[in-house]
Amino acid sequence: MQNFYKWGFETFFGSVFNTIITLLSLIILFFFINSILGFISTSEWKVVEVNRRLLLIGRMPPEHEYRVWPILWVASYLIMASIKTWGSPSYRDLLFIALGITIVCVIFTTSSTYLWVLTSLLICIFSYVITSFIGKSTTANNKNKKILILLWILLLPIIFTILLIGDGPKPTLWGGFLLNIILACIAIGFGFPLGILFAIGRASTLPAIKIVCTIYIETIRGAPLVAWLLLAWFVLPKFLPQFWGINEVSVVVRAMIILSAFTSAYTAEVIRGGLQSIPKGQIEAADSLNLGYANKMVLIVLPQAIRVVIPALISTFIGVFKDTSLVFILALTDLLQVGRIIPEQDPEFFGRQLEALCVVAFLFWIISISLSNLSKKVEKSLGIGIR
Amino acid sequence: MQKKEKKQIGKEIITTSEVTKSFGRFQALKGITAKVYEQEVVVVLGPSGSGKSTFIRTLNRLEPHDSGTIIVDGVELNDDVKNLQYVRSNVGMVFQQFNLFPHLSVLRNITVGPQKVRGLKRGDAEDIAMELLNRVGIPEQASKFPSQLSGGQQQRLAIARALAMQPKIMLFDEPTSALDPEMIKEVLEVMTELAESGMTMICVTHEMGFAKEVADRFLFFDEGLIVEEGTPEHFFTNPQEERTKLFLSQIL
Repeated sequence: MQNFYKWGFETFFGSVFNTIITLLSLIILFFFINSILGFISTSEWKVVEVNRRLLLIGRMPPEHEYRVWPILWVASYLIMASIKTWGSPSYRDLLFIALGITIVCVIFTTSSTYLWVLTSLLICIFSYVITSFIGKSTTANNKNKKILILLWILLLPIIFTILLIGDGPKPTLWGGFLLNIILACIAIGFGFPLGILFAIGRASTLPAIKIVCTIYIETIRGAPLVAWLLLAWFVLPKFLPQFWGINEVSVVVRAMIILSAFTSAYTAEVIRGGLQSIPKGQIEAADSLNLGYANKMVLIVLPQAIRVVIPALISTFIGVFKDTSLVFILALTDLLQVGRIIPEQDPEFFGRQLEALCVVAFLFWIISISLSNLSKKVEKSLGIGIR
Repeated sequence: MQKKEKKQIGKEIITTSEVTKSFGRFQALKGITAKVYEQEVVVVLGPSGSGKSTFIRTLNRLEPHDSGTIIVDGVELNDDVKNLQYVRSNVGMVFQQFNLFPHLSVLRNITVGPQKVRGLKRGDAEDIAMELLNRVGIPEQASKFPSQLSGGQQQRLAIARALAMQPKIMLFDEPTSALDPEMIKEVLEVMTELAESGMTMICVTHEMGFAKEVADRFLFFDEGLIVEEGTPEHFFTNPQEERTKLFLSQIL
């Protein structure tokens, strides 16, 4: 104990310089904590409580609200099953997951929806238990992996079917956090494979393909996303062909096109970096086995290239996810837009922007931190064979 | 010295005439004319930068040659993709740096070629792979990854990977130069066994003991040309050219 005090004194007040730094830090810390405590003591969370539905699904008509729940259930099952199958979570991981889910549930459970939320929680637990049961047999586990991958691929079509089937609400009425998640899934789901193709194209030895891909990437990256979204708003309809009413496609679809294109350009550059890190010997070995171009790329080059760039790739995806909030330019009400609007529209909540924005930030943060953890896990699980 | 049995040398399998290759302004090959016969083991010698590696890399078109002709097993190597595929599926290659696929398991390193190119079923390919791992003496490593093997084991795996394609000819590009001395022997043993089994082999190597024992013929390269060729006896007892004598005096 004596040593501890001595260590503390020497570390914080050992010299004049250390003393100044310590005092300055204390002052800054005091004001910081003071303002946070001030905010918490005066905050009024009713604005969030009343507008929960708006934050989550935006202006989607209440009679269509029930469509959201099956989506949540499917997603819950998939996410938990995948975490168990590939993530091999420790107890600490599980504790954090449970904590996150609980907080989200507490924020968003109302008397009319608690049964649905409860169902979703039960599905999470059920999914986890059944996957650990399957995991005991290797063959069943391998089969389960294939099924899960298939389900992930089918997830977007499933979501769209649920949202649109039987006279569903117009896509322009999708909103809130749901819209952010749908847009991000589309942007990543289409942008990533496209990005791989553009990266390979740009690294191609055929000049025509190389030039086309380079021009595409540099053009898309050359202008800000806001500019592209405005372009989609005003100009895209004129470029699209006139038949089938394609030129009048919903702004949501336009946002999807732009976001996918944007993601593909950034992903392409990230992956190109990975392609360049592959030693020439790998390509020569593949050639000497006569693997052929497609096999060489799919089996040898891309798996190694993508593994190298996983951190950069995930960080691109996190960026894309947050960029989806820019669709407010197309008059869509995404999560951030809802958070900005609600305190302005109801005099009761006037001046309560900070509370609303805190919740918005928290929701974005939950997804981003999950993606970042995913990146760590994927890196770790792929690291086995690396030199 | 143990005298090896006289081997049956078959018909011509590789014929090159006046092959040239330049890298920018540096001319690596200045007109190579050579023949290799079936079941023959040819060792390519020469100082560094003499073009010996470039030469064997032109034989499966890892380096396309600039002029001259290369005919492998009756098929000429040119821009024709069909010819290239025929040659590559009949010529195996082992590299100085092994060039194993680090993200695939040892077994998968071997099976990827047979499955994707020869169209074998997974089970059949794995049977072949295990047989080959036995042959090169590392069957217990099948489920590991290449980075978990020693250098010698990695090179033996590389040999097995090339053999899985059932090539008619094997090219070895300094297969032991990147290895620690104590691991060279195990690789050379595999190569000796392969030579005795009747494989046509072209080796770039500095392992003179191995070369003396296994080679049917030496090619001595210098400055992009074949300066001298002949049997090992001829080389070690009676080299003709000054440059050959100088090289041998430095290496032995």
